[in-house]
Amino acid sequence: MSRSLLVISRQAPWSGPSAREALDVVLAGGAFDLPIGLLFLDDGVFQLAPAQNAKAVQQKDVTANLQALSLFGIDEVFACSHSLAERGLSAPDSAQPLSSEQISQMIDRYDQVMTL
Amino acid sequence: MKFAIALFSAAHAPSSRRALLFAQAALAGGHEIVRLFFYQDGVYSAANSVVTPQDEQDIAQQWRALVSEHQLDGVVCIAAALRRGVLNAEEAARYQRNAVNLDAPWALSGLGQLHDAIQDADRLICFGGP
Amino acid sequence: MSTLHVLSHSPFSDSRLDSCLRLCGAQDAILLCGDATYALQAGSAPFKALEVSAVVIFVLAEDAQARGLSLPEWAKSVDYPGFVQLSIDHDKVNSWL
Repeated sequence: MSRSLLVISRQAPWSGPSAREALDVVLAGGAFDLPIGLLFLDDGVFQLAPAQNAKAVQQKDVTANLQALSLFGIDEVFACSHSLAERGLSAPDSAQPLSSEQISQMIDRYDQVMTL
Repeated sequence: MKFAIALFSAAHAPSSRRALLFAQAALAGGHEIVRLFFYQDGVYSAANSVVTPQDEQDIAQQWRALVSEHQLDGVVCIAAALRRGVLNAEEAARYQRNAVNLDAPWALSGLGQLHDAIQDADRLICFGGP
Repeated sequence: MSTLHVLSHSPFSDSRLDSCLRLCGAQDAILLCGDATYALQAGSAPFKALEVSAVVIFVLAEDAQARGLSLPEWAKSVDYPGFVQLSIDHDKVNSWL
């Protein structure tokens, strides 16, 4: 039985390679068929914002990688409701919103957790 | 107990020293470190090009000493290292760069090594930030 | 299941402590190290937040000493062997990088 890992991504998408490198951890785990969850928390929820344009800052499109999650077998994708509301974002299509209480219970469910 | 230790900060960050002292304490307590995995800015903690003033702690050197002395599995993420200019001789030759600032006891490898360590360990401990 | 949350950013310039307290479960504990130990600055907002919280608070001794912080009775001081033991006593460790 493989150990599960929850990756909590807290970084905004255009603040350096951190958000992308958090996603790389998730995709690598998916490529090895490991049970991986991804939670967007704090500024991390900005990765889910609509109408982003990576080209404007000559970056690769992180949202394209988010689309790839299901192809890598990553189906457990969540967003913190509190963080979304705090930043005036509505619930995204690509991540299931969770309350603080639900997040706390979810952290319990995973074997290991990594907050980037 | 088996630990996987992941480091995300450069040798000059207090968190790199904290990870080092945690690793030393874990080994002194009779525990096993299945792998050290240096990711993001953690790749700088493995660079042998760091020059520390004589009256300051040379954390990068102390990491090398720890890995060598205990024959630990010290892995530096290759993608994160290339992006930050931390290269061993092989990668420097491949990309035609003059500087080589990574060598034994460190090995460059991929993120699969992080996941492999997480599967093998009882606890994953990450260090980074300030 | 219990999680040891490890914080090292100053609570005065960063939201990690707030988010961490929001997500802490009943069995969880927080270890303050580095600049996160400034949360022990008496009379400050983070100090009060920790004081009224039900979460067990540990502090890495060297970081509190380096900053000249005195420990309230609700914060327990640990050294590195103590840190290792805390990581064993809890089911997982969540470092807020």
